[in-house]
Amino acid sequence: MTSGNAETYSAIWATVKVSSYSIACSLFIGIPLGFCLGYFDFSGKKPLRTVVDTLMALPTVFIGLLVYAFLTQRGPLGGFGLLFTLPGIAIGQTILALPIVIGLSATAVEGMDQKLRIAIMSMGANRRQLFLSSLWEARHGLLAGAIAAYGRVMTEVGISMMVGGNIKWHTRTITTAIALETNKGQFGLGVALGLVLLAIAFCVNVSVSFLRRR
Amino acid sequence: MDLPIYEISSLKHSYAGQTVLAIEHLKVQPASIVGLIGPNGSGKSSLLRLLGLIERPTQGKILFNGRLVEPFSEEARFLITLLPQEPFLMKRSVFNNVSYGLKLRGNGKGVVQKVNEALKLVGLPSQDFARRPWYALSGGEAQRVAMAARLALKPKVLLLDEPTASVDAASAQLIKEASLRARQQWGATLIVASHDWQWLYEICDDILHIFKGKIFGTGRETIIFGPWREPEPGKWVKVLSDKQQLVIPAPPNTETAAVIDVLSVSEDELRTSDDDIVLRGTVSRLSLEKNTDQVVATIIVGNLPFTVGLTPKQKRERTIFPGKNIFIHYSLDRVKWI
Repeated sequence: MTSGNAETYSAIWATVKVSSYSIACSLFIGIPLGFCLGYFDFSGKKPLRTVVDTLMALPTVFIGLLVYAFLTQRGPLGGFGLLFTLPGIAIGQTILALPIVIGLSATAVEGMDQKLRIAIMSMGANRRQLFLSSLWEARHGLLAGAIAAYGRVMTEVGISMMVGGNIKWHTRTITTAIALETNKGQFGLGVALGLVLLAIAFCVNVSVSFLRRR
Repeated sequence: MDLPIYEISSLKHSYAGQTVLAIEHLKVQPASIVGLIGPNGSGKSSLLRLLGLIERPTQGKILFNGRLVEPFSEEARFLITLLPQEPFLMKRSVFNNVSYGLKLRGNGKGVVQKVNEALKLVGLPSQDFARRPWYALSGGEAQRVAMAARLALKPKVLLLDEPTASVDAASAQLIKEASLRARQQWGATLIVASHDWQWLYEICDDILHIFKGKIFGTGRETIIFGPWREPEPGKWVKVLSDKQQLVIPAPPNTETAAVIDVLSVSEDELRTSDDDIVLRGTVSRLSLEKNTDQVVATIIVGNLPFTVGLTPKQKRERTIFPGKNIFIHYSLDRVKWI
């Protein structure tokens, strides 16, 4: 690590890049969906909630398998050439993170005080302002959901291994590198990479704590 | 007469199929102060939420300045504001809470000054409070901040839902004074739901009594709940806590509520006619009714409060005062059922 091994830094960079893509996509799609699920009452809400909660426990290898099946040359999305690429891994990780973001956002929104809506509307908010202000008020719960999703995305192996293929310089991430190095008996490097994961998680949490105080 | 600021017709509002409000017709004049009196659960808050365009009525129309309005109506949302009963502040500083509505309006100019003025109106010096977070306020301070957030908007209509119910006496006084300034300074229309009858009698141009979702009377009436008893055939009564019998005509059923409009008070028990029914009570307070300039006495009979206007002679002679034992008079034909 300290000698600046380019291969190791390539894996770190790939991890940061792919997890950022996937978490950005899952937040962009998941927060509005989670808001709707938590805020509105509609028929079929409870069964839908149960489905989302179940999907929060999706096994990563199962997602990897499904995404592989879709992205492989013979698969329905094979023409896009996404198999064994970082965007391919990002798609799988987005599927992994999305139910977590939706479920925890819905919980955060459901936990909002009902008086908030009256308070915001009584100040003259339109629908868009009501939505944005409610999101801001639920920010602590949303951040908790985002951290949980980011943690899951950062530490998964199944999707990265199956969809990315663990290709050196290309799709090797920290977790697949740890698996590889452990298989080779290089426990020291594996532990060092694990510490890098912890350091990234620490940085994310410090940033979130800063946002929380605002 | 001016165009009414509010006009309601054939309004019905329900929650889960249960009708909580049914108002045939109601008009509110601009720059007037209207009081809503009624027991808990009578529909006051529901009415204020409808007038505040927070909810859409199940049936019927609400016209604001002659135009049909509903939640998020562009022509009204910046002109009406509601202060709910329980203070609710957003997770922001006091300054950001008070400036929130101004920012929604894209009204960025002079925000600091407007916030400072609004905080001053409710007795909160901005140098001490503006930077405080929402969780570092007492209940009374939070309610005053919520009030300041509404006053900063200089609304045309200020709807107050029991604004002093959960605050101490000093905070209540500041909120009362601030709400009146809204009318004095920029001619706001005030609609106030409160159990503080004395305050409402002092400030209101009109008082509406609301019970079981229906508006009736002028607020002087007393609502008396059943059950009614028939101790002898044809004579229906309610036995009060001091054992006096409150006589009423035959009720539609034994649980119906009666509305009694007291005719007068006297210092002696003499009945003026056969229909005259007299009960003994104690004066609990006197207040000046703003729109009639009449002194209104609240008299406790048993444990029920009755409200009656004093005659000019009684007002002049000042022989009726709180604590004095006195007699109220009503007749059976002044009893209504609701």
